[in-house]
Amino acid sequence: MRIGIFICHCGHNIKSTVDIEGLKGYFKGLNNIACVEDYPFMCSEPGQALIKSSIERFGLGRVIIAACTKALHQDMFKNLVRDAGLNPFLLRRVSIREHCSWTGEDIEKNTSKAIRLIRAGIYSSAHYEPLEEKQVEVNKSALILGGGISGMSAAAFLARAGIEVYLVEKEKELGGHVRHLEDVWPVRERGKDIIERMTEELKTLNNVHIFTSSRLVSFGGSFGNYEAVIENSGGEIKVIVGGVIVAIGFTAFDPSIKPELQYGIDKRVITTLEFEEKMHELPIKEGSRVAILHCIGSRDEIIGRPYCSRICCINAIKTGEAIKNRFKDSYVESFYMDVRSHPRGGEEFYEDTQEKGLLFTRANISEIIPEQGGLVLRGEDTLLGMPFEREFDLVVLSIGMSPPKDNQEIAGLLKITLDKDRFFLEAHPKLRPYDTALKGIFIAGTCSGPKDMEESINHGRASAVKLYGLLNLGYAFIEPFVAYVDPKRCSGCRMCEQACVAKAIKFDEGLHIVRVEEAACMGCGLCNATCPSSAIALKGYKDTIIDDEISALTEAV
Amino acid sequence: MAEGNKETPEIIGFACSFCSFKASEMAGSLRMKYPEGVKLIEVPCSSRVDPAFIIKALMEGADGVFVAGCHPGDCHFIKGNYYTRRKIAALKEMFRAFSIDEKLRLFWVSASEARRFVDKVTDMYNNIKETKR
Amino acid sequence: MKGKKLKNSHLDSLFDGFLKEEGSIILGFKRDGNAIGHHIFKGSAKDYSLINPFFSANGAIYFRRLFSKGAKLLFILRPCEIRAYVELTKLTQIEREGIVAISVDCPGTESEKEKTDRASLPEDIRDYFKGDNKKRWACINCREKRGVVGDAGIRLDRDYNMWIIPYTEKGERLIETLEGELTDIPIDMAISPDRQTDSFKTDMDALRSDLKRCVLCMNCRDMCPVCYCVDCVFNGDEYLPRGDALLNKVLRTGSTDMPQGKELFHLIRMYHVSQTCVGCGACEEACPQDIPLTKYFKGISERLQGIFSYMSGRGFDEAIPYTTFIEDELKDAED
Repeated sequence: MRIGIFICHCGHNIKSTVDIEGLKGYFKGLNNIACVEDYPFMCSEPGQALIKSSIERFGLGRVIIAACTKALHQDMFKNLVRDAGLNPFLLRRVSIREHCSWTGEDIEKNTSKAIRLIRAGIYSSAHYEPLEEKQVEVNKSALILGGGISGMSAAAFLARAGIEVYLVEKEKELGGHVRHLEDVWPVRERGKDIIERMTEELKTLNNVHIFTSSRLVSFGGSFGNYEAVIENSGGEIKVIVGGVIVAIGFTAFDPSIKPELQYGIDKRVITTLEFEEKMHELPIKEGSRVAILHCIGSRDEIIGRPYCSRICCINAIKTGEAIKNRFKDSYVESFYMDVRSHPRGGEEFYEDTQEKGLLFTRANISEIIPEQGGLVLRGEDTLLGMPFEREFDLVVLSIGMSPPKDNQEIAGLLKITLDKDRFFLEAHPKLRPYDTALKGIFIAGTCSGPKDMEESINHGRASAVKLYGLLNLGYAFIEPFVAYVDPKRCSGCRMCEQACVAKAIKFDEGLHIVRVEEAACMGCGLCNATCPSSAIALKGYKDTIIDDEISALTEAV
Repeated sequence: MAEGNKETPEIIGFACSFCSFKASEMAGSLRMKYPEGVKLIEVPCSSRVDPAFIIKALMEGADGVFVAGCHPGDCHFIKGNYYTRRKIAALKEMFRAFSIDEKLRLFWVSASEARRFVDKVTDMYNNIKETKR
Repeated sequence: MKGKKLKNSHLDSLFDGFLKEEGSIILGFKRDGNAIGHHIFKGSAKDYSLINPFFSANGAIYFRRLFSKGAKLLFILRPCEIRAYVELTKLTQIEREGIVAISVDCPGTESEKEKTDRASLPEDIRDYFKGDNKKRWACINCREKRGVVGDAGIRLDRDYNMWIIPYTEKGERLIETLEGELTDIPIDMAISPDRQTDSFKTDMDALRSDLKRCVLCMNCRDMCPVCYCVDCVFNGDEYLPRGDALLNKVLRTGSTDMPQGKELFHLIRMYHVSQTCVGCGACEEACPQDIPLTKYFKGISERLQGIFSYMSGRGFDEAIPYTTFIEDELKDAED
């Protein structure tokens, strides 16, 4: 067997803590190694060309790429190997960046670890077999969970591109939180008007199916052919969709879990969302004193919300501006940690409102004490280091975003992951920010972390574009990693059949052995580990592959 | 069989591709450090880990083996990790009888828990280093 | 519990009656002078022996992969044999349909390897146990010596009178024709319920030292009643490299004791049979090197079955623990 090893420097990412020349020297001396090449960026075009030409020149049987982790560039490298005439499943990726150069500082130790990791790749890939990816037809349809601004944006794009769209919203109407906003900054429009315009647009498209007051109750299948069951008062509807966009939004932070703020106890303490809804009914007049508190439910480790919610500074400034516009002689003071008016035009907006007379005080508010006449804020001015007490007629809490209420349920149904803050986790924060770990399932909008409206719309559209790219191909390859049975070795004890979660194993009474229904097999390998003789094995992860990987890692360098 | 350098423990970890391996990737991306002696083998699901692999790794000179999977209830393959837990619990009981139970650990690490991954493997490494002395 | 008190003549007529039907077979012990061993009877059950005080193999290994379509089989088994039979049934290595299995109380056995002087083997085997004899370690520490599993059981009371007790419909049908009425069996029997032993504890040095003599002949595996695989993983190169594969390995990793992989083989086999091992000690009987395998296999399997409250061969309905799970269990195993 002729093996080629391709070591990536990843600029300085690998090269600075792994001795590339040392690696090359070690592997050049081993049997069956036809070539050892290194390059600053294997993923670049010259890097790809180097791999391709080496496969052809040396007639390589195995390609070992020692670079970043498999989650990155895998399809690109697979296609490259395929184009060079080699079965793409004879490619082995070895992560010497995420699992070596970035996790240790000692060059000598890292180099020795890299040698073992690459050697594990060589030993185990020796047992690889050419596998065929089964081509399946992809349904040109999408399920969008959540009919907020992000989901609607995604739906509109996909529908116009000719994709059948099933838009599921648990509330009675589309629009999510935006529907309830009185004044959307910076366009200064009512949220309801924006939503109604978008709804009208969706209604003109005959390939959008809107399900309001509906929930997803069951989900299965694989990319191209996901099966979803939607439930509403009319019963259950089963749809087959190619892909999914999860855009279930956020839950507004509930300040009542911080009792010192008196929210829910004293009616003079309201949230920014409530301010939007009842702006004109509030008991304030000329001369009223209003306090606005920033970072409520954000940047707060104690209540498990260490993140910045990104929208609340603008909301706070907007609230202050609205009061000032109506009552020129009101006293409005904003208490902030930092003012992060980050969207475009946000900084200018912040300056303008200051000119209008909005006061900003950098402070920590420890409690709100309800008195007969007003609400007394007790806190510390963090610039002056001075404690203070001030009285106000109204306190507006600029609340942040909490993870959506249904996050666990949706994550469980779709088998996707939540991050440490319980928002949905992306496949990679920079390179795959819309993807989940599952093919064809994307996340959009605030369910993947706090975003403003513009970002949510963009995120929704971006996910839609990504999904469209996958669906528009019309076909997909199914991972060939399924279980198979060696009929000569199977004892027919049916242990695997009893354990199989996917119920993909069936017993053949006549031959007294089991067989695998490939379409149902999920590829977990439980059967392989349950069978004492490994007569049933998981392609790509059979015993010899893992056993030799173990040997490679335990052998001395 | 391979004796190796007794000073630095060699630990082999089996990590499921949907949770723990993802966490290890994230740990790397975040430049979190953990001992070089910890090396991972990616498996699709922790339920793919045949206890025979663990026995083999230890008999061939690994100082410790861990199996890392998704938290119970979060398994991408729905129920795989419950089977893992049964198998590893049984193997641990066997190792207890042979007084080598400190050599095997079972962790649940979700894809977002890079810090937890690093803490778990580092703790195991330090523990084994201590007992080797 | 009700049963029928038995005389030897009752059994003669029961067995011969069973064998009269076309396609009927009995598996049990046959006495030939001073030798007793497993035997398959066809036509007549002449010289059968209900009890064999010597152990050479677990009879369950003779009926692995038995899918008797249409045949009528009567198995007369020791408790450890019937428990292996139960496990093999769960593993669909035996088709229970045409089988009637009877378990017989076991007073314990001596090893065939001991080459006991048989000149004095009494006419009635039951009398043998009244004398002094050197029982095997497996029997002294046996968890279940009573004939309480199967379609019927033959139990011994304090005076070594035999009682046959039906446990299933098949058992009831079998003893229907026997003389006498079903009556309450005596409370006090010769063989008491299972014995509790301490949880097995050892270390790797002890194992290594005991395995020093191992020649990896794998007789222990071949004679194990619950090692049912048609092709063992140890037949391949994955775990025990041979020839060039071994040479390569040695060249890469350094010197090794031969045969290489003894601990690996026994530990993995121990895990493989952990839930199904019945502790019969057939492995140790088969070992040409007299390695005390029973204490390891029996000790480990009892511990591993214990954590799932499972006992191999106790019942047909209990699932083998590795094929099932409970969501809320074994939190101790998580680190």
